[in-house]
Amino acid sequence: MGIAAGVVAIAVLLTTVVGLQMDRERRFPQAEPAQQILYVNSPAVLTRLALSYDALVADLYWIRAIQYYGGTRLSEQGDKSYALLFPLLDLTTSLDPNFNIAYEFGAFFLSEKKPGGPGQSALAIKLLEKGLVARPDRWQYPYDIGFVHYRDGNYKVAAEWFLRAAKTSGARKEGERADMWLEPLAANTLATGGDTRSSRVMYEHLLTSEATWLREDAARRLKKLDAIDRIAELERLTREYERRFGDPPPTWEHLIQVGLLPGIPLDPEGHPYVLNPWWGDVTVSDDSPVWPLPTENPA
Amino acid sequence: MRTTALVALHVFRDSVRDKVLYSIVAFAVVLMGVSYLIGQLTAGEDLKIIKDLGLAAMSLMGLFIAVFIGIGLIAREIDRRSIYAVLAKPVRRHELLLGKYLGLVGTLFVNLSVMALAYYVVLAYIGTTLSPAALKAAPAPPTDPRLMLAVLMIALELSLVTAVALFWSTFSSSALLSAGFTVALYIAGQFGADLKNFEHVVESPAAGIVGRALYYVLPNFAAFDIKTEVVHALPLPAGYLAMTALYAIVYIAALLVASVMIFARRDFK
Amino acid sequence: MHAIRTEGLTKHYSVGFWRSRPYVALDKLTLEVARGEVFGFLGPNGAGKTTTLKLLMQLIFPTSGRAWILDRPAGDVAMRRRIGYLPENPTFYDNVSAEELLGYFASLFGYRGAERARRVAGLLDEVGLGAERRMQLRKYSKGMIQRVGLAQALINDPEVVFLDEPMSGLDPIGRRDVRDIILRLRDRGATVFFSSHILGDAEAMCSRVGIVAGGTLVASGALAEMVPFRIRGWDLVLAGVMADAAAALSARGAAATLIGDGRYHVVLPATASSEDAVALAKAANAELVSINPVRDTLEDFFLAHVQKSAGRTFD
Repeated sequence: MGIAAGVVAIAVLLTTVVGLQMDRERRFPQAEPAQQILYVNSPAVLTRLALSYDALVADLYWIRAIQYYGGTRLSEQGDKSYALLFPLLDLTTSLDPNFNIAYEFGAFFLSEKKPGGPGQSALAIKLLEKGLVARPDRWQYPYDIGFVHYRDGNYKVAAEWFLRAAKTSGARKEGERADMWLEPLAANTLATGGDTRSSRVMYEHLLTSEATWLREDAARRLKKLDAIDRIAELERLTREYERRFGDPPPTWEHLIQVGLLPGIPLDPEGHPYVLNPWWGDVTVSDDSPVWPLPTENPA
Repeated sequence: MRTTALVALHVFRDSVRDKVLYSIVAFAVVLMGVSYLIGQLTAGEDLKIIKDLGLAAMSLMGLFIAVFIGIGLIAREIDRRSIYAVLAKPVRRHELLLGKYLGLVGTLFVNLSVMALAYYVVLAYIGTTLSPAALKAAPAPPTDPRLMLAVLMIALELSLVTAVALFWSTFSSSALLSAGFTVALYIAGQFGADLKNFEHVVESPAAGIVGRALYYVLPNFAAFDIKTEVVHALPLPAGYLAMTALYAIVYIAALLVASVMIFARRDFK
Repeated sequence: MHAIRTEGLTKHYSVGFWRSRPYVALDKLTLEVARGEVFGFLGPNGAGKTTTLKLLMQLIFPTSGRAWILDRPAGDVAMRRRIGYLPENPTFYDNVSAEELLGYFASLFGYRGAERARRVAGLLDEVGLGAERRMQLRKYSKGMIQRVGLAQALINDPEVVFLDEPMSGLDPIGRRDVRDIILRLRDRGATVFFSSHILGDAEAMCSRVGIVAGGTLVASGALAEMVPFRIRGWDLVLAGVMADAAAALSARGAAATLIGDGRYHVVLPATASSEDAVALAKAANAELVSINPVRDTLEDFFLAHVQKSAGRTFD
């Protein structure tokens, strides 16, 4: 058989193969029943099965956890209970107790409130406590526990955990000195509860995370915090206008004309803030990526 | 055509009697028996566990057989130079290669059948020990004929593995290396879903594209796995099975064409 | 037509990653073998004998040059019906018996049914494996495998037979049997092309030889022409020689070596005659056990030519 003929034949067959696979996926989308991802449920069994490849298997489960989280979050229908997230992260961290990013991820996303998130703070804490047992020197785990409590509004408990984090050996390590910002955070949380300053500190810390997911999320939330702060400022200005002229300003131009504003205020995503002419309160525009802003607890 | 059949018959006779294969099949049969014992330990879940274990054993042992005989196919024969005498006969190289492949797939099917038989025997026995209530509660009967669909899929999957092994053997001079590559490709082919979603997990979009491309081009072995569906009596669209079978056949054809091309042109040391 | 013909047949192997110079396994081999000849292809190990055979069988492809068997290009499938090949140190398949193996090969030639069974049985008897025909090849000794190899090379009554080191692994009885088979083939009109590094085999069977060393054909031609069979001396064995007589032997100009227990090996120059030998024995008061002429052998010829090319290095 000539080389040219053979190569053409192979190319045709491989193209067919790829086409078949794509077509099959289109027609029979794999719903990926839960059974398949978690064929082995028990960490104890899996750790043994993985033999000496724990780290590799941990990576695999980690990939699946992210996949699962992302898939569930983005899908419009289907099960939004995130039921498998904790088991997947549990398996990942059982296989590799030093898998720091998995703990952090778990802490952050498991505790995220419904309807967007799983709202499983208790499980998040359980995961982190496991990490704490494995690595008592790391300050990140008690810190993350505090973070979860903070999100749930338990500021006193959160402050205790922040303090505890500040006291771990890891926090006082030369070069890192996390205790320098953990202690003030603890104090602040104890004092003022859920204010944007504490939240900002925590999200700024998250900006240094290994995981892109977390960094992006933190950046988004910081923008929201910025918006909240800016809105507070703008509302002070509208109240000033009201004090001066009797009514709240109908448009931004009015504020600009009287010199209270240099220009139309834009939110961190570049969309103009929306002024409510009746009450003088300011909100972000509906079609801004910053919307919606967290209402009660800034975290 | 006739020559190919003659080669296939000879190869079948030679490999079906191979002692190593006997051991592997015997091991699988023992595994079936052991699965019965394990089933006894977990009250109520025996049937599922035995079905799962049996299919897993067949799949795993079948994999060993496919790789073992796939390598023995060409690599061992070239290593030992038993190929010299045959090639001096009025046999064209491609007839030899195709005959070998068919003979070895035949061996594979025979071995799988033996294992499947043992499987059904154990399942039938379990069926007699279960209470009527347990039988009713089970999603599928113990000797569910649909299990044969899973076995058929395993057979197709392993035929593809054998073709991969054959392909590697045509140009690699080391039997061990060929075996290694084949197993590596098999493992990679099992993690298709992860490859597909690579782009969601890694930073660089280029890596994501590579992952996706690999997913489509490399043989997707995970798609043949219908064990869960069969054990839990979940629906199995006939179209899916047909497409998967077609996928296997076309991919095998591609590998055979490539193998023939390489085999026809290579020197034998 | 010629049974075998090559023209500038060359095979280079590239060795190693960085070396640009190839290893020349065979360099422009040009030879002809007429029908009905027994041709001995001789040379030391690594000279290119097996390479040549593999090229003729198209197990490997030439770098340049061409080869024909029975006037068909090497690799022609139809021509392969009329030839037989025994590889060097052959191996076959572990789990089949000799009978099944030969049956398989016979079927590849198109033999069926009773004819096939007859051929298989006949050949197994001819090579002396009748009793073990049903035993799996796994259990065969090296010599038995060699016989199987010979049998499969002859299963189709070939017109040209290629044998690579056919005597290897055989005891003296086996070697004699193979020699007989080869001579029978010759008598039937077949052409035999065999390679060997054992020269005694060639001397006994060949009409023509080719000597290859370092990948090059250094000599070829009819055996009788290449090795002038002149007598270079006489080999005597004397028995019962007394110690004092031994000294006397040397004095007479004969080189004498003690073989043991009063037996001496004596070499006389070519100029001596048989009468001189008898006289020598009488003078030493010894018994003349044997007297043999010392001739130029193929070995001498071989060594002379091979030494010449020993200067070539392999890459």
